[in-house]
Amino acid sequence: MTTPGIPPNDPAKPAATDVDDLDERDPGLALERTSLAWTRTAISFAALGGVVLKVSVFPGLIIVLMAPLVWWVGGLRKLGAHRYWLITVAIVLVAILSLLVALISHGASRALHS
Amino acid sequence: MASSWHWISPRGAVQEEGTEPDPRFTFANERTFLAWSRTALALIVAGLGIVQLLPPFPGVPAGRHLLGVPLIVLGAVLAVVAYIEWVRNQRALRTGQPLPHSVMPWLLAAMITLMAVIAAVVLLMSAIR
Repeated sequence: MTTPGIPPNDPAKPAATDVDDLDERDPGLALERTSLAWTRTAISFAALGGVVLKVSVFPGLIIVLMAPLVWWVGGLRKLGAHRYWLITVAIVLVAILSLLVALISHGASRALHS
Repeated sequence: MASSWHWISPRGAVQEEGTEPDPRFTFANERTFLAWSRTALALIVAGLGIVQLLPPFPGVPAGRHLLGVPLIVLGAVLAVVAYIEWVRNQRALRTGQPLPHSVMPWLLAAMITLMAVIAAVVLLMSAIR
C-alpha cells in the first residue's frame, strides 16, 4: 500500500532506520562532512605553520609540512583509532615547537637589541 | 582491570569492547574530536601571536609571556583531553552506554576566564608603572 505523492520504498534499498545490519546503514553525508573536518584541521596546521614561519623558518616549515600529512592521515580510514592518537601527538609537538619559538626567539631578539 | 595505557591506547579497550556502532555516530564523534583539535591549534596560534606580535607592556617585562605561554600550554592540554574524550565517547557508543559528561567546555571556560584575569592584572600593572 502506498501513500499518494510519496514514492514507495525501494525494497532493494531499505531505509536506514529499518535496518539492523550495520553494513547496510547509510551514513548519508556524514562521511563528506567528516572529510571536510579533516581538511579544515589540515588548514589549521598550515595557518599555524605560517605564523611560526614568520618568526623561525625551520620550526615553521616542519609545521607547514604537517598540514598535507594531516590531510592524508584523515583519508586513511584503515588506520582506525591510531589517526586520532597521531593528531594528538602532532598537536603536542606543535605546542612544544611554538613554546620554544616563543621563548628562544624572544630571548634572541632581546640579546640582539641590548 | 585494564591499565591506564590500555584504556587510552588506540589498540586498547575502544576497539575490543562492545560492537561497532552506527557509523553516523562514529563520524560525529570524529568531527567533535577534530573540532576540539582545531580549537587547540587556535589557542596555540593566539599564544604565539601574543608573544611575537604584541608590543611589550611598559613596566611589565614578562607581560606577553604571562599571557602567551599559558595559552600555548592550554592548547596542548586541550588536544590531549580531546583524545581522551574521543576514547570515552567511542567506548560508550560501542557498549550502548549513555555518553559521558564532557569536561571540555568547563576546561576551556575556566582557562579563558583565568587568561582574562591575568590580562586585566597585566594591563593594570602596566598602567600604574
